[in-house]
Amino acid sequence: MVTVEDGRIVAADNACTLGEQKFLGEPRLKGPIQREGKGWKDITYDEAILRTVEMLRDAERPLLFGWSGTHVEAQCIGVHMAEVLRGVIDNTSSVCHGPSILAIQEVGHPGCTLGQVKNRADLVVYWGCNPIEAHPRHLSRYTRYAEGFFLPNDYLDRTVIVADIRKTETGNIADEFVQVTPGGDYAVLSALRAIVRGKRDIIPRSVAGVPREQLFRIADRCLNAKFIAFYFGLGLTMSRGKYKNVRNAIELVSELNRHTKATISAMRGHYNVYGSNEVNTWMTGYPFGIDFARGIAFYNPGETTAIDVLARRECDACLVVASDPAAHFPRACVEHLADIPTVVIDPYPNATTAFADIQIPVAVTGIDAAGTAYRMDGVPIRMRRVLKTDYPSDEEILGRMYAMLQEDHPP
Amino acid sequence: MRFLMNTGRTIKQGITVECKGSPGYGSETSRCFMHPLDMMEMGVCDGECVRVESTEGAIVLAAAAAESVTPGTIFVPYGPYANHIIPGATRSTGMPDFKSTPVTVEATTDRRKTVYELMEEMGGVAYHC
Amino acid sequence: MNEILIKNACVIDPISGINGEIMDIAVSDGRIVEEVGSGAEVIDAEGFLTLPGGIDSHTHICGTKVNFGRYMSPEDMRAGRTPRRGRMHSTSGYSVPTTYGNSYRYSGMGYTALLEGAMAPLEARHTHEEFAYTPLQDTMANVLFDGNWAIMEAVREKDTKRAAAIVGWTLAAVKGFGVKLTNPGGTEAWGWGKNVSSITDVVPYFEVTPGEIIDTMIRATEMLALPHSVHIHCNNLGLPGNYRTTLDTFDLVPDLNRKRQTLYATHVQFHAYGGTSWSDFCSKAEEITRSVNEKPQIVIDMGQVMFGKTTTMTADGPMEFNLYRLHHNKWSNHDVELETGSGIIPVLYRRKNLVNSIMWAIGLELALLTKNPWQCLLTTDNPNGAPFVRYPEIIGLLMSRKYREAEFATIHPDTEHRVSLPSIERELDWQEIAVMTRAGQARALGIVDIGKGRLAPGAEADIAIYPLKIGEVDPGREYERVIEGFRQTEYTIKRGRIVSRRGECLVWGNNTTIWVKPKISERYDMAQDPAFVEKFDRYYTVRMRNYPVQEEYLKRNLCIETETEL
Repeated sequence: MVTVEDGRIVAADNACTLGEQKFLGEPRLKGPIQREGKGWKDITYDEAILRTVEMLRDAERPLLFGWSGTHVEAQCIGVHMAEVLRGVIDNTSSVCHGPSILAIQEVGHPGCTLGQVKNRADLVVYWGCNPIEAHPRHLSRYTRYAEGFFLPNDYLDRTVIVADIRKTETGNIADEFVQVTPGGDYAVLSALRAIVRGKRDIIPRSVAGVPREQLFRIADRCLNAKFIAFYFGLGLTMSRGKYKNVRNAIELVSELNRHTKATISAMRGHYNVYGSNEVNTWMTGYPFGIDFARGIAFYNPGETTAIDVLARRECDACLVVASDPAAHFPRACVEHLADIPTVVIDPYPNATTAFADIQIPVAVTGIDAAGTAYRMDGVPIRMRRVLKTDYPSDEEILGRMYAMLQEDHPP
Repeated sequence: MRFLMNTGRTIKQGITVECKGSPGYGSETSRCFMHPLDMMEMGVCDGECVRVESTEGAIVLAAAAAESVTPGTIFVPYGPYANHIIPGATRSTGMPDFKSTPVTVEATTDRRKTVYELMEEMGGVAYHC
Repeated sequence: MNEILIKNACVIDPISGINGEIMDIAVSDGRIVEEVGSGAEVIDAEGFLTLPGGIDSHTHICGTKVNFGRYMSPEDMRAGRTPRRGRMHSTSGYSVPTTYGNSYRYSGMGYTALLEGAMAPLEARHTHEEFAYTPLQDTMANVLFDGNWAIMEAVREKDTKRAAAIVGWTLAAVKGFGVKLTNPGGTEAWGWGKNVSSITDVVPYFEVTPGEIIDTMIRATEMLALPHSVHIHCNNLGLPGNYRTTLDTFDLVPDLNRKRQTLYATHVQFHAYGGTSWSDFCSKAEEITRSVNEKPQIVIDMGQVMFGKTTTMTADGPMEFNLYRLHHNKWSNHDVELETGSGIIPVLYRRKNLVNSIMWAIGLELALLTKNPWQCLLTTDNPNGAPFVRYPEIIGLLMSRKYREAEFATIHPDTEHRVSLPSIERELDWQEIAVMTRAGQARALGIVDIGKGRLAPGAEADIAIYPLKIGEVDPGREYERVIEGFRQTEYTIKRGRIVSRRGECLVWGNNTTIWVKPKISERYDMAQDPAFVEKFDRYYTVRMRNYPVQEEYLKRNLCIETETEL
């Protein structure tokens, strides 16, 4: 429910704290801008598109990065652009749940849609994630405070376990908080796997700061539950061990399925990061980090992922779509962005604007553009347009660029 | 003193992330959450500046006491400050060590830089609406 | 106007009763016509075998589960890569290729229409998005109803009309084609880590049996006059002794439709197992085909297994978990709230493995022992038994006893005691192959009337010309020439345009999604049923008004409206 006055959203009801901010936002760029020495000048959309195409044409190894904050229709065009340019295309998952994807590629992923959790999960585990701060609606919609078909008394019917290296806000509302020594997640997950496999006698008195009695209690809670929903966050993907931590969590959940019902899911961030993974996968076979330099789609995370391509100073132009690498990437990467031609397609000025040669503002999906987004559980949602403005959508801007690039390579 | 630097999301960072030029975003992402006992040992009070150094370089942050942070670790919200000193290496995973960078922390009288000062240092040019 | 004249075609068109005649085919504006003007493009077919475009009536090519198969399998993606070339985009993958990979390879083999076998309605948008990137074929999606809460409640109330109303509303909402039941009742039980073990077992909480679900859905489907019958993946897939469940299911089926079967049972190879465990595992293809031969109301497809690597994927979540416990490789599962489940694991079918060898033999036995080729269609349940690129080899095996014997000599030696394949002399002919790969599919899916599966004037100009001169090839001896011939067309023509020439795809495509909208009176409109709406909004995680797939997701499409009893 949004209230619109004079073509601007002035109130957003029923949205979460983070969503409300997305609607109210800061002032958007009025039109494309181009850097000129130490300042900026306004340019037209036609000029901005042409110059971007020229930049991409001139590049030998362009990087097309971002994509998680835009709709599926634009993401599809992005893949076609990378293919025709023989560039690298990567999305923000390489710096959030990329390691989770690597783990899934090793051992699979027993998951489910959010409604299964809402209607059935009597035990919810949050590991290395802090939904109260990062996914404010998760607890009220699907877990702690949600009424489900088989769990009519939300709060009473469900147990919540939180494991983290610090007691977060989410830890405060848990029935059981598990404090893990930093870097100790792998060991604690291994201990739980051993207990579930009936090897209680080999567990030492404490594992990575977690007492044996607590490990036994958690394992028993799992074994006695009817439906376990295990959610994990960047606490596993970014800390020591990275994808091996996630792999261990998945294998614990797979093991639990021999005794009861258990599912596991990543707490994905950007609203459509999963959509970008899906699009990349059906079009190229790989969820992120795809390199078309050889003509075929080539995937080697650690080599073809954005951080590596930038930190090795390998790419010679960068198109940033709907994300802000300058705020989220290590300094070495940002310094290289400053050295190469960079174009940003984003409604708002952000940290990456400072490193751009051109920025092209666009409509925001779900506000003044319609399009598809994939929820963290893979359910595709139609994002409606609630406001009509003159801003073009990402799909329109990228579609025009792709059309010009195709003319270079007639079939 | 040696610490392990952890970075992560906070709700304030999440709200201000759409307005990275705002003072709110800069002040939230330049905070260094530490256990009060560690701060006491270093002789640093809440809000005073600390210099955090890794193999990549150093950055000035404002210390903030938090019981929830494990002694021996510091927590810095995601953002340009933490990234200033996180190495670009990914150990062949595509993912930098966002949650496990070894650092040293000491009290300092230097002031915190603004987000755009950081950006300009790296070759960026601020855009003001 | 785009016109083509195909001269000297050796046509087999079973629906029109043409069997190997040398004739010309005229194409105008996407349809087959009596004659064309002198300006038409002329293709000299040189007496090559010319068939209606191939139709796959059960394949997994698009949607949440298929894409997760790709997502979790970079090793499979690396196993088949082609660069961007001409009009063709790059492709990746062997057993679960990218959408372009599927579309180009099917097109190169002469296929012009594909039915995605299992679409969860909640995730239908995803399937339609991938359809848009599968440009060279017409596409249809069967909709999963096996664990649908509202359906099971209607079954419990014995309210067939309500079940029909729910099916009708859902098909129209998600732009689906037909009704799919995958392990009916079992996918809901899997929500608790459980399963059902026979058609009389009771689904937890809902207190209905698989048999009751199947019976109600058959009657509901006929009430809605859907073009396709209920399409079932029986309970107990892959388990020794499961042939009894399959026979019990077949025995439930009345003959309710004059134009087509009343039940389509898919990948029956996986459901024709005898024995009590893996140690006395054996073929029951004779029992299964005896039942099929007695029941014209049933059509099956083979679900043939071919040796090599592939990826298994199905809505049957509990079955995939059992398979995972056998293979100990990676396992994915994805339960869909209030509707169904799914699972994925990679497998390797090995010649030296007795069970795998028996499975290989069973698929062939089903096809060879079913007397009427219209009742047993050629599939691998792509990619579950094998990727579809193996179809030409299966054709070779069905047409040549010599080839079967040569293969049999390489498989596990104990197989001969568990199967009857070595004693089967039958060799299928060209006409029977044409039935099992296109004409039979068109009739079973109920799409003959919209111009599919035939080459008579008025039909859609979907045509496959294979480099095979049937008078000059003895399939029994020269099976290798048969396999080569079916591997790649000289020309594949789709909607009157040459889309593939010797494997090179020449146009972007943009084909038709076929979907079904039953006409239902206001009284039975579920969108206006307060109890249905209330429950929907309460227990799904999307609002009912956001559930239907919008028109934006259908590029080119054909809606079949049906006259119903509601």
